[in-house]
Amino acid sequence: MVAADDLELTVENGEYLCLLGPTGAGKTTTLRIIAGLTAPDSGQVFLDEKDVTKAEPEERNAVLLSQTYSLFPTMTVAENILFGPEIRKVPEEEKKRTLIELLDLVRLTKRADSYPRELSGGMQQRNALARALATNPDVLLLDEPLRALDARLRIDLRHELRSLAKALGLTVIHVTHDQEEALVMADRIAVIRDGRIIQVGTPREVFDSPATPFVANFVGQSNFFTGSILCSGNDRTTTVHDEEGRVVFARPCALPVDSKVVVAVKIGNTRVVKKSDAFLTGTVERALFEGRIVHLDVDVPGLGRYSVKLPASRRDQVSVGDEIGLNWSVKKASVFPYPEGGLENELKVD
Amino acid sequence: MKRQDQLLEFVNRKGFRKGWSAFIIAFFLLFVVLPTVFVVTYAITDWDAISITVLSNPKTMAIIWDAIAVSFAIAVIVTVIDFFAGLPVAWMLVRKDFRGKELLDTLIDMPLAVPTAALGFSAAIFWVVDPSPVPLSLSIISSPFILIVLLHVVFSYPYMVRSLAAILEEIDETYETAGRTLGASRLTAARTITLPLFRAGLATGVILCFSRSMSETGGTLIALSTMSSLGIVAADSFATGPTLIADWRTLSFTDPSYTPALAFVSILLIILSLVLLVVLKLLIMKFHLPLRRVWPMPEKMLSRGIFPKLKDGSALFFLAMIVLVPSFFIFTYVLFATPQAAEWDSFIFALGYSFLLAGIVTIIDIALGIPFALYISKHREKRSSHVLDVLVNVPLIVPTAALGISLTLFWSNIGSLSGLEFFILVLAHVAFTYPLVVRNVAGAVEEIDPSYEETARTLGANPMQSFRRVLYPLVKGSILAGAIMAFTRSLGETGATQAILGNNAPTAPVFIVALVQSDAFFQAGLACIILIIVSYVFMLMLRYITRKRKEVI
Repeated sequence: MVAADDLELTVENGEYLCLLGPTGAGKTTTLRIIAGLTAPDSGQVFLDEKDVTKAEPEERNAVLLSQTYSLFPTMTVAENILFGPEIRKVPEEEKKRTLIELLDLVRLTKRADSYPRELSGGMQQRNALARALATNPDVLLLDEPLRALDARLRIDLRHELRSLAKALGLTVIHVTHDQEEALVMADRIAVIRDGRIIQVGTPREVFDSPATPFVANFVGQSNFFTGSILCSGNDRTTTVHDEEGRVVFARPCALPVDSKVVVAVKIGNTRVVKKSDAFLTGTVERALFEGRIVHLDVDVPGLGRYSVKLPASRRDQVSVGDEIGLNWSVKKASVFPYPEGGLENELKVD
Repeated sequence: MKRQDQLLEFVNRKGFRKGWSAFIIAFFLLFVVLPTVFVVTYAITDWDAISITVLSNPKTMAIIWDAIAVSFAIAVIVTVIDFFAGLPVAWMLVRKDFRGKELLDTLIDMPLAVPTAALGFSAAIFWVVDPSPVPLSLSIISSPFILIVLLHVVFSYPYMVRSLAAILEEIDETYETAGRTLGASRLTAARTITLPLFRAGLATGVILCFSRSMSETGGTLIALSTMSSLGIVAADSFATGPTLIADWRTLSFTDPSYTPALAFVSILLIILSLVLLVVLKLLIMKFHLPLRRVWPMPEKMLSRGIFPKLKDGSALFFLAMIVLVPSFFIFTYVLFATPQAAEWDSFIFALGYSFLLAGIVTIIDIALGIPFALYISKHREKRSSHVLDVLVNVPLIVPTAALGISLTLFWSNIGSLSGLEFFILVLAHVAFTYPLVVRNVAGAVEEIDPSYEETARTLGANPMQSFRRVLYPLVKGSILAGAIMAFTRSLGETGATQAILGNNAPTAPVFIVALVQSDAFFQAGLACIILIIVSYVFMLMLRYITRKRKEVI
């Protein structure tokens, strides 16, 4: 089984990197290889420019925080935190100091003598974090650290976790399948799929200039238009048309005229407009009121379903069955060569 | 301190760990599996002897086939009885709440605390027709076959109930609830929904009961011997596979011409048990019980009123009358019997010898069984680990008497046995107790999320530290449970011991067999009681430890 294939990634000191990808993309395997828990069939792992591919996990100082936190059930909160220092035979004085500091940092001072099973999910997460920090790791490996928490807490902890890492100057590799989490937390995002890294960049780069249709859809969800190039070149708006004669516009690209392409526009950048200003027209199939916004599914004949988000204030302007126009700002639309395996295959998540 | 650190560092090296794993596996293959089945090679090297003295001798062949057929028939009947009598009790233990449940839970395991030698004596005195019966005894059985069935039910019954209860606990009750809200009666729901999910537990229970019955020697010998001293002649010529081995083994000490026949019976028993293990496993997994059909009205009727009470009542009655009373009848016997002069020195020596043996065996089991259990449970993805996992069960299935013969042949092939009796006994007992420790520990380790240890490793612990600080506290209970099982099993074992050293083997159970065979009933009774009390204390410890473990998790 190939879980991570031909994967190259460099993480800087003090960087918060999110490894983002769908389930089964090889994210956890990558973390395990870095931690030394899984031996790669080929390839190397460097920590501080030192080759540690053959080193045992305990020699790496790369601490893994697993999805379930793996707090040792037979130890109290304090004993869990002191596990690393104990092993390293740190002097009593220093151990005591570390413990007090960390308990305070993760706000568990009052629960020091509790057992993990007596803690709430959030407390367990903080306990596991404190345990990891106690060993002063060179790199902290977080495997879906927020997954087991409920929705509200998960959002609160995003900021907390990131600011803690930044305040302590930690190097973090954070694995997640949640694109929003990655966008909010990361300095850089590495998008991984089928064991390969497709794109590495700041959240803004990955969101605004996706490297492939897959990234365009996986990070922020896109609408797609398939056609061939009528006009392209440096600094010129790319013009794409399809067999039914519909024409859309996208940002400049270097692909030659007549090549088959896919245009991707984030659903958040797709606008509902008068038919006269529209690139495309379609019929509203469904309108889902989601509170702050209205989510519209629009059937564009021959192209399938387009999704659009409308502010709640405009919700009375559109109803199911209406024919509406769609367009977008030309700068926000990316152009990709048509994927070899077909578009559907390219966008498939698992 | 420094030297210790160096040692630890050495022990944690990859190369050392690989070598250690290899050593553990080699030990298992060479000292547990190989001796167990070694006797089979006798068929190749000494086929001539077998064919001349055994195969061409119709009288011997008839005895062998009779004994083996009897063994099988008894094992089948016992297993079926265990299932039907055990299922309602297992159900009660898991699904019902009632006063005295704790007590019932304890009572079920009671027969396990009694060494089979004592059980055989106790049950025989309770059941067998006696011209001057002991007060309160039933004194109604005169057929050795029925007596042995009744005896084997006593000590296999707890295994069946425990296996069924264990799997029942895993089966989500909501399935049944769903079935009942869809209109099925209690009986229909239980029968069509829960029972089909039972197969795994059934397989374990059936295999345990079957192999226990096939393998039992000491209790059977004593029961038969008691029966014959009570004047029932049929018991003299009655033999199961293991008792035949025991009898012939005794004779072979003076007349070596019995060796080929002994080897032949052992080979047959070993091969048949192994084949049976595979067949039973496949059969239970593949065989579809005809459970789909539904008879709504009669089943509805049977689910109500007096019938469920009748079912539970008769199951409990069975437990009391067939299992518990015969197990402990020996206390009554000793109370009413006329005291005889008894010679205690040799029994105390035998008891001490048994304890020393069981102690050493348990230490070896733990020292070499835990690493082996860790190896198989941590290399689940490797095929070799699956093979080893299956092999571990072999010594549990093979009748211990056959195992004893096999071991004797194995070691006498290598060198002279004289002076090394204790050593050989230790190895024999290790062979059939080792799987108990391995099963327990491997089962517990597999339950535990590997991420605990992995996290410990990334936090800087080497493999030794992560075992000692993280894994060990989590599986401590299972290690102790396995150790106590191994200890009591070794303490009460007769078949293999006798096969190796004959009736002169200085262990307590063999000593009791010898007492019964020389009609020293009173002293045998007292010796049994002492053995029961000692085993019972260990049993209590086991329950205490396992209960505590449940609370932690």
